Amino acid sequence: MRSDATALVADGVRKRYGDTVALDGVSLSIPEGEVFGLVGPNGAGKTTLVRALTGTAACEGEIRVLGSAPTAVDADRIGLLPQSFHPADRLTARELLSHYAGLYDAPRDVDTVLDDVGLADDADTWYENLSGGQQRRACVGTALVNDPDVLFLDEPTTGIDPSGRRSLWSLVEGLAAGGTTVLLTSHSMTEVERLADRVGLLRDGSLVAVGSPTALVDAHGGDSHLLVEGRDLDRETVARALDATVSERDGRLVVRNVALADVGRVVADLEAAGVDVESFTWAEPSLEDVYLSLTGEALDERQASAAGTESER
Amino acid sequence: MSRQRRIRSTFLAALRAFVRRKTAVFFTFFFPVLLILIFGALLQTQPAGGGLFAREPAYYLPGYLGIVVVFTPLSRVGSTIARHRDGNRFEKLATTPLRRWEWLFAHTLVNVGVIGLAGLLLFALVLVVTGASVVVGPALSALVPLVVLGVALFCGLGAIIGRVADSQDGVIAASNGVALPVWMLSETFVPPSMLPAWFRPVTALSPLTYFSRGVRTAAGGGDPTGSLLVLAVVSLAVFAVGAIAVPTTE
Repeated sequence: MRSDATALVADGVRKRYGDTVALDGVSLSIPEGEVFGLVGPNGAGKTTLVRALTGTAACEGEIRVLGSAPTAVDADRIGLLPQSFHPADRLTARELLSHYAGLYDAPRDVDTVLDDVGLADDADTWYENLSGGQQRRACVGTALVNDPDVLFLDEPTTGIDPSGRRSLWSLVEGLAAGGTTVLLTSHSMTEVERLADRVGLLRDGSLVAVGSPTALVDAHGGDSHLLVEGRDLDRETVARALDATVSERDGRLVVRNVALADVGRVVADLEAAGVDVESFTWAEPSLEDVYLSLTGEALDERQASAAGTESER
Repeated sequence: MSRQRRIRSTFLAALRAFVRRKTAVFFTFFFPVLLILIFGALLQTQPAGGGLFAREPAYYLPGYLGIVVVFTPLSRVGSTIARHRDGNRFEKLATTPLRRWEWLFAHTLVNVGVIGLAGLLLFALVLVVTGASVVVGPALSALVPLVVLGVALFCGLGAIIGRVADSQDGVIAASNGVALPVWMLSETFVPPSMLPAWFRPVTALSPLTYFSRGVRTAAGGGDPTGSLLVLAVVSLAVFAVGAIAVPTTE
């Protein structure tokens, strides 16, 4: 349920810690009701940007949250799950949520929130005795007790098992459907691809790309491709048979720009050319390809791998 | 109403978190009891003799009460702030309607409750174990505001230490470094007459001195209003600075 009104605006936001530039002129605008995913390598500035937007870190530049400065915005309308949040551990999950609910004038029913985050059966267990995933879900619950209009979730699913993660995804989807604006940071591209209307990619404190997952994949993800594996494969023979660009990677041949609908024709053409193929793997570009491409992590990994191989020789 | 609700919620959470730490609760009560047993029962005072315990037993009542009034809030509030900071709890609280002074006030109430109980136990023990005598009368009721104001003062100071120290270990070291000299040199155990003349004005700078004078006066049936007023003003000032020091942002 998105609207034309703007929930969050950052304009030229800068933050330095000594000589380290944490945010280098970040500008973005998030309309009400949008789920905005913030991704980037460790140290890219994601948490600093969340802190800037929530007013817990002083920064240069202009920030507006629901039309007000972050420190002046009505706290009843904001929800925050900080990164590495560790609440009092000798409170039960219910007491913990009741504590945070008690800070607001019109909180949600605590038992309903416990149910939302999947802790209804463990509501009376001390926080320190919950599993890591349950603890994180309790922490997410503390950000939901006031039914916020804008919700900041800094790595909400860290340490949560796949089942718990999916139930939290459903929860976020439900909140978004109800009009809540959500800004979430994550290292899980699957999570961001599923939840986010738009994704911002931070690298070294700069927002290097913003767009819908589909738009980012189209712009930066590269082509879909077919990996061909077999004995004595000859690159030129395959390229001639398919009339396509073919490269080699890790002993396999990579046929670029192959749509899923064309895979059957490619297989038939290779058989007709007498190429002995053992297996095919088709892959389309994903947000992870975008991430690796724009952050340079893939390059860094290849360089590290090459350096490692070199040193082993 | 909203403010009361926020303070009540924070108070309850802090109280539950404290009373469920059995070791902390035990030593909050055991440490001062142990000191009374050592100083009051084993060493005993020698009113006619010289040395550190040369006064009548009742003289040391402020000293025994001062143990819990100084040490407990300093270390508790300081380490609570360090724990909150380590767990990013202040970052979270900064986005809620809770104000910094409300947080400190709620934690001060917890300390007032815990230290009030410990103080009551110590008061009874001092009378029974050391044979100290007090004048039972209206003036004795002044012990309550004296303890409350003393606790508030050292909760504020604990918040300042918690802000300045960068870790829980640092808080404990700083708390002990501040608490011990303040406790010893504020007309508690060491009478001013035993101190060098040049040092005596320094004891007047310690807020605990006014706590000591007030407790001693009230226990003797006198009017402690003067000491109470000084303690109230200093407590309010230190509490205010402590509230500002509560680190809600970077």
